[in-house]
Amino acid sequence: MKSIRLFLLLALLATITLVNFVALLHGYQSSMEKAQSLFDSRLESTARLIAAANSENAVQQTIAEQQTPYTYFQIWDSGGKQLLTRSRNAPELMPGELSEGFHEINHASYRWRNFIYRDQHLNRWIVVAERSDVRYSLAEEVVLESLLPIVLAIPVAALIIWLAVGVGLKPLRQFADQVRHKRVDDLSPITLEHVPHELTSVVSNTNALLGRLEDAFQREQRFASDAAHELRTPISVLKVHLHNLRKRLGDEDEDISLLKTGIERMGHLIEQILALYRSSPDQASVQFEHVDLTKLAQQVIADEFMTIEQKQQHISLEGETAMIEGNRFALETLLHNLLSNAHKYSPSGSDIRVSVAQKAHRVELTVEDSGPGIPASEYERVFERFYRLQGDRHDSGELGCGLGLTIVKHIADLHQADIQLGTSSIGQGLSVKIIFQQEEPH
Amino acid sequence: MLLNAVIIILREVLEAALIVSVFLALSQLLNRKLWWMLIAMVMGFAGAYVYAINLSQISMALEGTGQEVLNASLHSLIFICLLIFMISVPHQARPGWRRLNLFTIVLAVIIAIVREGSEIILYIKGFYGIPELLHPVLIGGAVGAGIGLSVGVFFYYLLVNMHKRSGIWLGYLMLLLVGGSMIAQAVEFMIQADYISASAPLWDSSHLVSERSAIGQLLYALLGYEATPAPQQAAAYFGSIALLVIAACVSFFFRSKSS
Repeated sequence: MKSIRLFLLLALLATITLVNFVALLHGYQSSMEKAQSLFDSRLESTARLIAAANSENAVQQTIAEQQTPYTYFQIWDSGGKQLLTRSRNAPELMPGELSEGFHEINHASYRWRNFIYRDQHLNRWIVVAERSDVRYSLAEEVVLESLLPIVLAIPVAALIIWLAVGVGLKPLRQFADQVRHKRVDDLSPITLEHVPHELTSVVSNTNALLGRLEDAFQREQRFASDAAHELRTPISVLKVHLHNLRKRLGDEDEDISLLKTGIERMGHLIEQILALYRSSPDQASVQFEHVDLTKLAQQVIADEFMTIEQKQQHISLEGETAMIEGNRFALETLLHNLLSNAHKYSPSGSDIRVSVAQKAHRVELTVEDSGPGIPASEYERVFERFYRLQGDRHDSGELGCGLGLTIVKHIADLHQADIQLGTSSIGQGLSVKIIFQQEEPH
Repeated sequence: MLLNAVIIILREVLEAALIVSVFLALSQLLNRKLWWMLIAMVMGFAGAYVYAINLSQISMALEGTGQEVLNASLHSLIFICLLIFMISVPHQARPGWRRLNLFTIVLAVIIAIVREGSEIILYIKGFYGIPELLHPVLIGGAVGAGIGLSVGVFFYYLLVNMHKRSGIWLGYLMLLLVGGSMIAQAVEFMIQADYISASAPLWDSSHLVSERSAIGQLLYALLGYEATPAPQQAAAYFGSIALLVIAACVSFFFRSKSS
């Protein structure tokens, strides 16, 4: 069933049409029989009228004032041997047997229905006849006038059913619209003007589900916040102890160096996991605002500049004001991750290029590096959590946990943006292009 | 006049509506695109009009038997479409067979509408210029078409709302009966054109169900009911159904063997 409205329209219309038309045919047959019976009564009355009006019981001239060609009359003597008088279009012979009542006869290439009346008073026979096809046509004409409105009513019924079903399905449509247009962060209950009985349980169960989902998100948020605090604090303490240890034992100690790398890796991993959680498209608490992407990129480049400078890398930014609807914190994280990746995998003294391009109804953010790049066959997999190119054999020597591009993907999904990976225009490095649509994200 | 118009139009519309509704339902149950059916219907109506306006030339062809021969050919073509449809359904996982299957549906619908639609156009055209007859004919035609289309709508929704497997089997069963009816009618036309010699009817069941009654029309559209069938018609009817069943079984057998 493709559409409830279409199904109801067709099913109801087919039912009405079938029932109405079968009843119409039955009514037609009954009406035709009734009309024939009325015509018979009229024929009988005409015969009696002619008998009363014509009291001459002798041979007379043919009556020429006959107006209607589809009726005639004859007056025969008592034995039916001699025709006393007749209308002009009547046959001169006795049509069929002379017995009182209704008969069907053939005359002048037509079928006729006659009534033979025995005039007891003057002892003679009166024959009155009408053409059957004319009687039938007259009866049908009268009956059809009453049937026509029933046939014409079907399109009207179709229109009324279509509108009525549309009104009846309005709450369902409102419900579907609200569900369809809900923002990812909107877990507020669905409200309908009038909730019909059939939808009560659907609406209440959906709202209960949304409520439970919101509770679960809040619990998760509280847990993440608590975990972040509880994990950051001991790492900060560890860093202080490491600093004191280095002062006491010196930087040359290999164990101290390994410990430093391990603590930095752990701290980076925790920050990335928290960023991954905060940027999840399912995250209910994300608020959107107007963000100038070029200005934000400038700010993030300034934040990262010292790190980039350490490898004598050259970073450039191209672009003018480009406004999008987005979450500032998430977009900052996205830019930090992209720049961090570009910095890590580009050799010392190489170039990193950031550009923000305003296109028709979209803004394209591109970050290009001079690193080794990624084979096209790996483009899909690099967005998987904890996936690192070449797995454990990763030989970049850079601090990483395989979450950077996953976070970028989450943030892009959150903004309903597309990601395109490709080869950088500077060398063989990686180009990451994020395409933001300039419409209000739902 | 009205009753005659109802019976004639009902007979034609019911037959076309059943073929279209069964194919529409099967297309939906077998996950086919439905817009093809719309195109097929439009092409069918256009074809019916072309057939109707060229009838006099068609009738005069083949020494005055052109119309009968063309009608017999159209019915036979529908049967061939049904035969290919039955054979191709088990192999529809393959793109080539799937396209062939869709093509047979579209072609069968076009021919069915051409055949039945042209009869309707010719019948109504015969009353142009006689207003006192055209009026009841149009009302009778609307009533007949309304009843026929309503039955088609019910059949469609019956098939698509049944359990999928049952819907497909019932659809196949109806196509078998339609196939038998098509070949029986083709034989009837060939008897009328004297290509097949006429014989005494095998039986006369008009006292049980008259062909002119509403039930008779429904049975005619559903089962190809004839009150007085010639032996050749009955043989063609049952033979063609047997051929469809055998073709479908062989095709299913080869599919299960190859898979």
